Amino acid sequence: MNYFHLFGLTANFTIDIGRLSELYQALQKTVHPDRFAHASSQDQMIAVQKSAMINDAYQTLKKPLKRAEYLLKLRGSQMLSEQASFSDNQFLMRQMELREMLTEVKFSDDANSEIDKINQTLDEEFLILFNSMQSKLDQDTNKANELAYEELRKLKFYQKLHIELERLEEQLFAD
Amino acid sequence: MALLQIAEPGQSTVPHEHRLAAGIDLGTTNSLVASVRSGQAQTINDQAGKDILPSVVSYQTDGILVGEQAKSYAISDAENTIVSAKRLIGRSLKDIKSKYPSLPYTFCGDENHPEIQTRQGLINPVQVSAEILKHLNTLAEQALGGELTGVVITVPAHFDDAQRQSTKDAAKIAGLNVLRLLNEPTAAAVAYGLDSGQEGVIAIYDLGGGTFDISILRLNKGVFEVLATGGDSALGGDDFDVAIVNHIIEQAQLTRPLSNVIERQLSQQACFAKESLSINDSVEITLSHDNQPWSMILTKATFNDLISGLVNKTLRACRRTLKDAEITVDEVIEVVMVGGSTRVPLVRTEVEKHFKKAPLTSIDPDKVVAVGAAIQADILAGNKPDSDILLLDVIPLSLGLETMGGLVEKVIARNTTIPVAKAQEFTTFKDGQTAMAVHVLQGERELVDDCRSLARFELRGIPPMAAGAAHIRVTFKVDADGLLEVSAMEKSTGVESRIEVKPSFGLDDKKITQMIVDSMTNAKEDIQARMLKEQQVEASRVIESIQAALITEDGKLLSEVEITVINHAISSLAKIAQTTVVADIEAAIEILNDSTATFAERRMDASIRTALSGQSVDEV
Repeated sequence: MNYFHLFGLTANFTIDIGRLSELYQALQKTVHPDRFAHASSQDQMIAVQKSAMINDAYQTLKKPLKRAEYLLKLRGSQMLSEQASFSDNQFLMRQMELREMLTEVKFSDDANSEIDKINQTLDEEFLILFNSMQSKLDQDTNKANELAYEELRKLKFYQKLHIELERLEEQLFAD
Repeated sequence: MALLQIAEPGQSTVPHEHRLAAGIDLGTTNSLVASVRSGQAQTINDQAGKDILPSVVSYQTDGILVGEQAKSYAISDAENTIVSAKRLIGRSLKDIKSKYPSLPYTFCGDENHPEIQTRQGLINPVQVSAEILKHLNTLAEQALGGELTGVVITVPAHFDDAQRQSTKDAAKIAGLNVLRLLNEPTAAAVAYGLDSGQEGVIAIYDLGGGTFDISILRLNKGVFEVLATGGDSALGGDDFDVAIVNHIIEQAQLTRPLSNVIERQLSQQACFAKESLSINDSVEITLSHDNQPWSMILTKATFNDLISGLVNKTLRACRRTLKDAEITVDEVIEVVMVGGSTRVPLVRTEVEKHFKKAPLTSIDPDKVVAVGAAIQADILAGNKPDSDILLLDVIPLSLGLETMGGLVEKVIARNTTIPVAKAQEFTTFKDGQTAMAVHVLQGERELVDDCRSLARFELRGIPPMAAGAAHIRVTFKVDADGLLEVSAMEKSTGVESRIEVKPSFGLDDKKITQMIVDSMTNAKEDIQARMLKEQQVEASRVIESIQAALITEDGKLLSEVEITVINHAISSLAKIAQTTVVADIEAAIEILNDSTATFAERRMDASIRTALSGQSVDEV
């Protein structure tokens, strides 16, 4: 089942998140297992399945990167494996620089402000890429989808860096 | 002569009966049962007029004592009197020994199934909890005047799969029908009726005897959506006591090991001092050791120093959980306090400082969870068909699988809304590999050794293929109680292996059945009667729900032929359900279920469509 259709939405990248959330809650109010706590085991089982599917659909559409990936899959965009190499050397160089910045935080005198600085840099670069991906997804041509896919993969690199930075922060400031 | 009842068209012909249901707060230190009576959720008192039952079970020669009576043996007969069994439930022996090294019990049993040696034989912590549940069930049945349809039992939000499963097993042994395991903080939110009128984010700070939970919820039109939950399964008011005990030992210049009698005396004095310091600025502590009286004064300031590290630990968990929820402190509109330990003044002031607002404390923090559970039990039992409340809970800890090199691959991340189903594909490592070991883990760390091992099983009969050619799909399903089921399948051949994650921890079905038998006086007949009744109840549920569906609009989803087949299966089940052969009833239910499976699915899909169209009408 197409997750966009499940919520009665058109399969576009730009969606109204507030509306999605309202639809999600309305659907859970009809199929959640709590509505079937006193029903037969069979009805309960089906309710669990439907409710789980609606949860997954909501999570997939709510998170922008997941939504982009799902949409590209629906559009039949070619799935490259995560390990496939990038041809964009400039991007790879930049990733290496950012990674180095992360390793150096530990040796900094003021780790806190260093982390803030990196966070800001990551956010800025993420946003530029994200906006570019969004406009390509809105174009919805084969070529644009292919490029959007490439940018999605890059965005995932930023997402990973962001998680690593958070972990680093926790380590540094744990007692 | 009775008048004939005529139902309104479209209305169920089944008359509405009020079903008896209760909410149970199965706590570390104390337990309570509550129920909705005349529209009001209230805790239920015992004959002595008390609603708080100490979670203590004492195994005496002539019987099993529960509650206050058992508590009186806590010092004199510590080995046979189990307190705080909730701390032991669903845990490994190693876990228990490292977390609570000074327990007065003699542990037996294997690593994954710890048992306590008592004069009534070996007792599993699950059985201890079952005794408490049985006691509360009796209280409720006496007060409500009938047998309970079902109960909602609360568990700490951070309870892992083994701890949840063990709690459900305890209910099974006690003969209770569990409508839902509900997270304690969510129950508290329901009790405060925060769904009415309020919209926004709330935080529930729950510091009990042995556990700490922090949950961040978003409220919207009756929906309680848990955004994130965190906490510590081994941090609570008992640790405040331990801090005081250690302080006394230091001041009195005692050296461990001390006798069980002294240890219990110390912890009772500590507990008394803690409670007294909620009101007074200082308290006198007295001990009699080797017939030597000894005393000291403990001031509030010293006590605050002793526990400030523990309180800070809870605040750090709050910070982490807010971050997980992607919420800032300023977005939180309300903080709810739950658990007896939130009476400690330092806890209140520190929580207020952290969230920058005075916390809600109007409902007794000892009772708020049971009250919330009772409200939810009333709804789940079907007494409030128009209720708008819906609880969307999450799993507290990530679930994953062991992969190469002792690493954990996460399949479902923590704070994912339940129910949830996720699949992950794996492949073989060697040419001609015909079996694959599946090791299921729970926790946030990357190494297998740092996570909780939930279960291991093997998928066998994979046809020999080149390394990497087989596609093995491992599916994780978590139900609305937060309980996990895992299955594995080789895709090209359909070879399948399925388990409910439980055998490696806790109890298998055979053991549970044995415990049920053990706990009954006329064991054999009782268990037969119980199984027969369970099937008869299920049979009437199945018939009721199908008949109700047939007379509504949903009936139109079926052809004439389908309706005939279903009606036939209904009448044959109705007949067989009058007999006493369990297996026959089971088979007849199966037949009816099979004949209505597609109908049930079509009905559910139709209701999804209706819900969607209702939404768009609202919008226009």
